[in-house]
Amino acid sequence: MKTLRFHYHMELAFSEPVHSHVYTLKCLPKTTGTQRIETCAYRISPESSVREGADSFGNRMLYGKAEEAHSLFQVDVNGTAVTDITASCEEQEATDCSVYRYQTPLTRPGERIGELLARCRERTGELPPADRLRVYTEAVHESLRYEKGVTDIGTSAEDALALGRGVCQDYSHILLSLCRADRIPARYVVGMLLGEGESHAWVEVCDGGRWQGFDPTNNVPVEDGHIKISHGRDYRDCSINRGVFTGQARQRQTILVEVTPV
Amino acid sequence: MEIELTRRAETVNELLARYGVKFGIYKDNEFKEQLFPFDTIPRIIKKEEFAYLEKGLKQRVMALNCFIRDIYGEKKIVRDGVVPEEFVYISSGYLAPCDGVVPPKGIYTHIAGIDLVQGKDGSWYVLEDNLRVPSGASYPMIAREICRKSSPDTFETYHVEDNRDYAKLLRWTMDYVNTGGHTVILTPGRYNAAYFEHSYFAEKTGAHLATGRELVVEDDYLYFVDYSGKREKVGAVYRRISDEYLDPMTFNEESVIGIPHIYDVYRKGHVALLNAPGNGVADDKGIYYFVPKMVRYYLGEEPVLQNAPTYLPYYEEDMRYVLEHFDELVLKDVAEAGGYGVVFADRMTAAQKEDFIALLKREPRRFIAQEVIDFMDIDILENARRTPRKADLRAFVLMVDEPIVWKSGLTRFSRDPDSFIVNSSQGGGFKDTWVLSQ
Amino acid sequence: MGIISVENLDRLFWLGRYSERVYTSARLFADSFDRMIDMDMDNYAAFCRQLDIPNIYSSREDFCNRYISDENDPNSIYSNLMRAYDNAIVLRNEIGSEPITYIQLSVYDMKKSRVSRAPLVGLQKVEDNILAFWGIVDDMIENENIRNVIKIGKRIERLDLYGRLQMNRESIVREVHRLAGRIARTNLHYDEKNLKELKKLAEEDQIDYDRVVALADTLRKD
Repeated sequence: MKTLRFHYHMELAFSEPVHSHVYTLKCLPKTTGTQRIETCAYRISPESSVREGADSFGNRMLYGKAEEAHSLFQVDVNGTAVTDITASCEEQEATDCSVYRYQTPLTRPGERIGELLARCRERTGELPPADRLRVYTEAVHESLRYEKGVTDIGTSAEDALALGRGVCQDYSHILLSLCRADRIPARYVVGMLLGEGESHAWVEVCDGGRWQGFDPTNNVPVEDGHIKISHGRDYRDCSINRGVFTGQARQRQTILVEVTPV
Repeated sequence: MEIELTRRAETVNELLARYGVKFGIYKDNEFKEQLFPFDTIPRIIKKEEFAYLEKGLKQRVMALNCFIRDIYGEKKIVRDGVVPEEFVYISSGYLAPCDGVVPPKGIYTHIAGIDLVQGKDGSWYVLEDNLRVPSGASYPMIAREICRKSSPDTFETYHVEDNRDYAKLLRWTMDYVNTGGHTVILTPGRYNAAYFEHSYFAEKTGAHLATGRELVVEDDYLYFVDYSGKREKVGAVYRRISDEYLDPMTFNEESVIGIPHIYDVYRKGHVALLNAPGNGVADDKGIYYFVPKMVRYYLGEEPVLQNAPTYLPYYEEDMRYVLEHFDELVLKDVAEAGGYGVVFADRMTAAQKEDFIALLKREPRRFIAQEVIDFMDIDILENARRTPRKADLRAFVLMVDEPIVWKSGLTRFSRDPDSFIVNSSQGGGFKDTWVLSQ
Repeated sequence: MGIISVENLDRLFWLGRYSERVYTSARLFADSFDRMIDMDMDNYAAFCRQLDIPNIYSSREDFCNRYISDENDPNSIYSNLMRAYDNAIVLRNEIGSEPITYIQLSVYDMKKSRVSRAPLVGLQKVEDNILAFWGIVDDMIENENIRNVIKIGKRIERLDLYGRLQMNRESIVREVHRLAGRIARTNLHYDEKNLKELKKLAEEDQIDYDRVVALADTLRKD
């Protein structure tokens, strides 16, 4: 069990001022079976009327519209979380996992993922899912070299694996693809990691009615240093920021996350 | 006996042109408007026969509505193994953001267009359920107006149910789920194939016709903005754009015809959307196979209307049958619509057949196979002579506190004597559909 | 149908303008055509000059064909009619199906006159349909604002055309007064300073035509 203080910062810098900027943000962690959010406050600038809601995966959303012209859009979230993976009691009925059993356009396997799965299977045989997952996680970790800027949000698992390089999103998509090809329900998770850095992504799989996290980027099972923000079928269900604005501008997104033990 | 109306074809066509009864079509990337060819010989459905269809259609749409509610709710039908879950989750009509969202009054299928054909033996078969944005009711509606003008004697002789009440039924359907506020018909704009229909319905129902740009979301409500900047709350939107384009913040991010955050307003119950987003999960060609099972499952009744005999290559037994009887079947790609992705096996070359069978074995879930129904042909007038053509019937079912079947329908025929494809986008024409009142 | 969007308010205005442009240019063409039959074969050059449209025509025949019905000539009557049609077709909700039929019929008649050696017969039908359109707009549309916006479009266009053609003083004065009387009754944004100046110009003995045209075109503010 850990008590963690987190600060999440996201900013969009526009090359020209934009206006009528409509946004939906998924950046608020919520209390789950393995984490309790004790405090959580957010600030959005420019200030506008913000509404709260939840999507169909249960992720918290903030949405609104920044009417006036602005060149910088910022979101800050501050809070404390108590994490305890041993407390996991998020029992799910089998049908609730069903949607996570099927590939999406981003996770659909091709030849490369097929080969990777075949190689893994030689080692896993008839092992139970949790053990198979350890093998998959390691295999994904070893198949990719961490490198920024070579893939983007539209890169599929198959393409990333063929490239052999990528970021946490790519690691996670490949692992999802393997799990689903093996009929294990698996979901994409966005969250924050102990220390300083960007937001992070990992995978949760449903085994015996419980969701368990695996972090293929770091080749570890998810532990108390992970604070979960959202989950979905793939990156697209969890995208931290969606926006539509008026103006001819390029935008640059920066995310800074800081998680410290209390 | 000859119907007097059929001697007035010229007058009727002149009036149809005058009223601009057209649909849009893209040819070589250019938008063109075409008159929708009309044939004056009506399809006539006798009173008792329609009563039978009505019963079956109500039952079918009830079951479809139950199915959608179940899929986005408890998923009992999947858990009970009646519908394999992958048919649900791989369907392009299944939209995850709709999970757990219950629309006003629990209605998902406000306006359904059920396509039927009649076999030579007189029995009816359902070919397709269209639940997303079925179009076509405006055509028989305005055609009737014009036919009555052109040949009043005909309507004095025959006792035909008036079909011009469609606007009233549609208005009732919209009002029934309205959460408080104006009623809007949302169109992608004038370069949409069915723009005539959108604007005609708006005029006839008294709803506002709007494009996405004229609607805004503010503080969890939807508003129509008028020229002075005044905002008018909207309580119901009959959207004639597909759900993927409805809201770039939830569905397709690239959509420029949608309204950002309209789905969040809907999720909070502050506006009704007709038809409900995500309802396409039930009109998928793969799901079609299971509709008679749904009727039994949800309503505990035997289905009144039958499907065309259909095989799912997904099931081994059906695959075997399909391969053995390949030449007798029509194959449909479940992802396609509008008459596309339909192939008749007996018209394939040997090489095409081989390729297709390989594809079928590779992607069994992608196709359904159906027996070719021996259609009962309907006469049309061609150069003033009666000649038989293939035709189908799109029946419209509107859902209020219970389903209402419109006493008419869109009869489409293929103009090409060798074709089974009746879609307007592929050159088909239409007829009025008479339901006799005595 | 109380509420109208900005886009549709604009379309109503332009529907008024283009319907007027079709009507008046068809009538002007008729005068010119008559002269070209046997009096002044090259009268079309003067016609173009007066209307301030480029004389891209090579002969009387070329002019008669293209000015009436060439869809690629942006100044043809046909092109202007199609602009009216494009606006009308999206205003079914505001003006109703019946008025639209007259614009639709004009399009059919225009297409028929395209092949005729006696184009004025077909153009006469186009004019009849436009007149019927205005009549039904006046008669059937309950919303006064909608009626007025179409009429303002029509009045502004007419003033613009009459100014370009340097019509007699009485015609200009009449049009200025009709416009001024109507525009105050609409919800359109317009430039009051310009309107005042227009009224003053109409009081002068010598009409400053260029100024009238300029003021008419900038009277309406978005």
